[in-house]
Amino acid sequence: MIVFASALTFFFVNLAPGGPASIMRFDVSPEQREALIRLMGLDRPVPQRYIEWLAGALHGDLGTSLLTNEPVTGRIADRLPNTLTLAGSALLISIVLGIPIGVVQAVRRGKPIDHLLSLVSAIGLSVPVFWLGIVLILVFAVSLHVLPSAGVTSVSSDTFGDRLAHLVLPAIALATTILPTVARFTRSSMIEVLHEDYVRTATSKGLRPRTVMMRHALRNALIPVVSAIGALVPRLIGGTVVTEAVFGWPGMGRLALEAAQGRDYPLVTGLTVVVAAIAVVATLLVDLAYTRIDPRLRLA
Amino acid sequence: MLFQVRHPFAIPALVIVGALLVSACTGAAQPGSSTSPSAQGAPVAGGTVTIPIGADPTLNPWSPNAFVESLFINRAIFEGLTKPGKDLAPAPDLAESWNTAADGLSWTFKLRSGVKWSDGNAFSADDVAFTFNDIVLKPDLGAQNRASYAAVKSVTVVDPNTVRFDLSRKFAALPSFLAYNSGILPKHILSSNPLTTASFNKGVPVSTGPFKVEKYTSGQSVSLVRNDNYFGPKPYLEKVVFTVVPDPNTQIAQALAGDVTIMILDNKAAVDRVKTANGLAVVSRPLVQYYWLALNQTDTRFTDVRVRQAFVHAIDRQAIIKSVESGYGSIANSPITPALAAYYDPSLASKYPYDQAKAKDLLAQAGWTPGPDGVLQKNGQPFKFTMDVGQRGVLEPVNALIQQDLKKVGVIAELNTMEWNAYIQKDVVRREYTATVNWWTYPSDPDVFPYYHSSAAGKGFNIPGYQDPKLDDLLVQGQSASDLDARKAVYKQLQAYTSETLPYLFLWYPQEIDVISTSLNGVPELGLRDAMHYLGEWWLAKK
Repeated sequence: MIVFASALTFFFVNLAPGGPASIMRFDVSPEQREALIRLMGLDRPVPQRYIEWLAGALHGDLGTSLLTNEPVTGRIADRLPNTLTLAGSALLISIVLGIPIGVVQAVRRGKPIDHLLSLVSAIGLSVPVFWLGIVLILVFAVSLHVLPSAGVTSVSSDTFGDRLAHLVLPAIALATTILPTVARFTRSSMIEVLHEDYVRTATSKGLRPRTVMMRHALRNALIPVVSAIGALVPRLIGGTVVTEAVFGWPGMGRLALEAAQGRDYPLVTGLTVVVAAIAVVATLLVDLAYTRIDPRLRLA
Repeated sequence: MLFQVRHPFAIPALVIVGALLVSACTGAAQPGSSTSPSAQGAPVAGGTVTIPIGADPTLNPWSPNAFVESLFINRAIFEGLTKPGKDLAPAPDLAESWNTAADGLSWTFKLRSGVKWSDGNAFSADDVAFTFNDIVLKPDLGAQNRASYAAVKSVTVVDPNTVRFDLSRKFAALPSFLAYNSGILPKHILSSNPLTTASFNKGVPVSTGPFKVEKYTSGQSVSLVRNDNYFGPKPYLEKVVFTVVPDPNTQIAQALAGDVTIMILDNKAAVDRVKTANGLAVVSRPLVQYYWLALNQTDTRFTDVRVRQAFVHAIDRQAIIKSVESGYGSIANSPITPALAAYYDPSLASKYPYDQAKAKDLLAQAGWTPGPDGVLQKNGQPFKFTMDVGQRGVLEPVNALIQQDLKKVGVIAELNTMEWNAYIQKDVVRREYTATVNWWTYPSDPDVFPYYHSSAAGKGFNIPGYQDPKLDDLLVQGQSASDLDARKAVYKQLQAYTSETLPYLFLWYPQEIDVISTSLNGVPELGLRDAMHYLGEWWLAKK
């Protein structure tokens, strides 16, 4: 599947209008442009270049970035931890907040608190990340001076606390891309489960409502939520493109934007391969989580 | 040449932050006013200056991948034979003095002695010869800016402190061009791979300027520290940090939060908000830059000069300056900008007032008369064409304004908005366009040969493809006249002639707005990228 993704990307980006940023500038003469096309090897046919790239990729060499002349693997390895930190934090926030919110809404279905949280979710889903990002910066960095505005660390100090402070705003901004969906999935799944016979049985057995909720209802309600979260991972990765640009976060999202705008063909392809691999791993993790939640699936 | 500003979210974010920031503003913009930070006594040493840049820089002035974000650092650490003086005339940098031969076909530069590279090796004429003969003049390398040196045949080392540039034709602007993104590179480091050595371009390069790179962290920052081997006086600042912040609105927020010492304000809508901030001053600086509308001369409708003149009368350029530049700019009628004060002819500024009646009249003389729907027509064909719009900077709103203005005189321009990279390929590389707006930024010299000469029509920098033997002659005369008075006379004629014939439709000369901390001193009154040549003179007042 990853090979297929790489082939598709390689051919698509090479067919896109435009070309590497070094030749698509106003101040490059036609003879300079020709020289650079030859230097970058772009005068050779696309299938030939793809086969060469694939041969290298199978040995772990994703080629050389056209924009910086550095190895693509190194450029991605530089940025991958930052994106995983940011996306992981956003995912954590979404789970830790989204599931309880959904449960509260399901239990208080139709009550004012349910309507209020639904409204907040809808707003959260419809607000663009770049706008929310700027607002967060203006409020917490400019007006209140409590959090840093951008970057991954301060220039002068690079401590764990400093890194954590830099992570707060972008993680919140990114979390809004999936948190409302997590809450909504939990809510509808919980409502469904609360009508099931075994929940009624558990309640009529005289178990405490809290036990019924946590042990019987939530556990079953989480199965579709977990699969939804797995499906949300690509959206989360997509959200990093904008979030990282607004917060000056040195991750893969920004790298992908630069690579696409600059038509850095090997870098775009390399990033696609890595993101495809992340999606595959996320799917695997979801499957593993299923078996933890639902023992019946363990043999499947 | 063109600065390529890369702001992925500039336009949508501009609307929002405009709303957020302008809501706090008081009073109207005061174009042209310069609130200079007050002088604060004698310079003191120490402190860190922070400057935001839009993307990772490429630390090699000749690399084709060195885009606009690279200019700040490259101009601070690499030195050319000359640099732009505070009046923009070429000033000594690595060369102490220069003169041209009697026949004008060579220039000799006397180099400063005792100059060392930041790694302690001695700088010499060999480095100059290497930079030109082995990089710039090598066609296979495709070095950036190489087109500026088309007249240079070779560079010869006369002695360790003297070099001679041999030319194929007269080239009076050479000392000015050498001041423009033409830093000298170290032969002892780059002889095997001058343009694509990643440890140099994206790491810690060896340079001659007052500062050197301390650390390059991709996607985050590049820090400079004093170069202890620098030949000149020790710089005041201890450190200069360039932070990579792609979103221009985040840059503004950082300035408001006090995290930035000096920056270019690309989003001029935010100027009033910044003015009200404590500890920040706003200054305007002249640029060697002008915006234009190119009408492709392969389209016969645009070869009639009356049509071109009518368009200029029809476009309300003052309204454009007010709308997209918050008033920071002036109307252009020639390629020589007010920043080139020695050459600029201010009398041309009022040549084409905004006048719809005059525009219609000129179009009628050219045979374009209103049809039943009000759209002009000639031989039964309506006056309709497409303008390609590159998504960058202010180009989208400018095109919308021009479209409205042309419609008022019965000309229909359809806008075709394109992603920047694809736009360059279509309009510049393939020249498959009818009309398009863009801008030129060029070295601080009136020699605009590359953008106007007929030899560059259809393929080089002559975007409209305008060809005119009389203009060609003036361009060559300008290159041949070596003394200042003779050059002034030629370029005065050239301004008058281009304003009459309109090879490009000149729109406006923009000004740069810089946001500067009131504690920062010693920054010359130049565009910020040019002021980087003087980083050694900057100093921070103690708080």
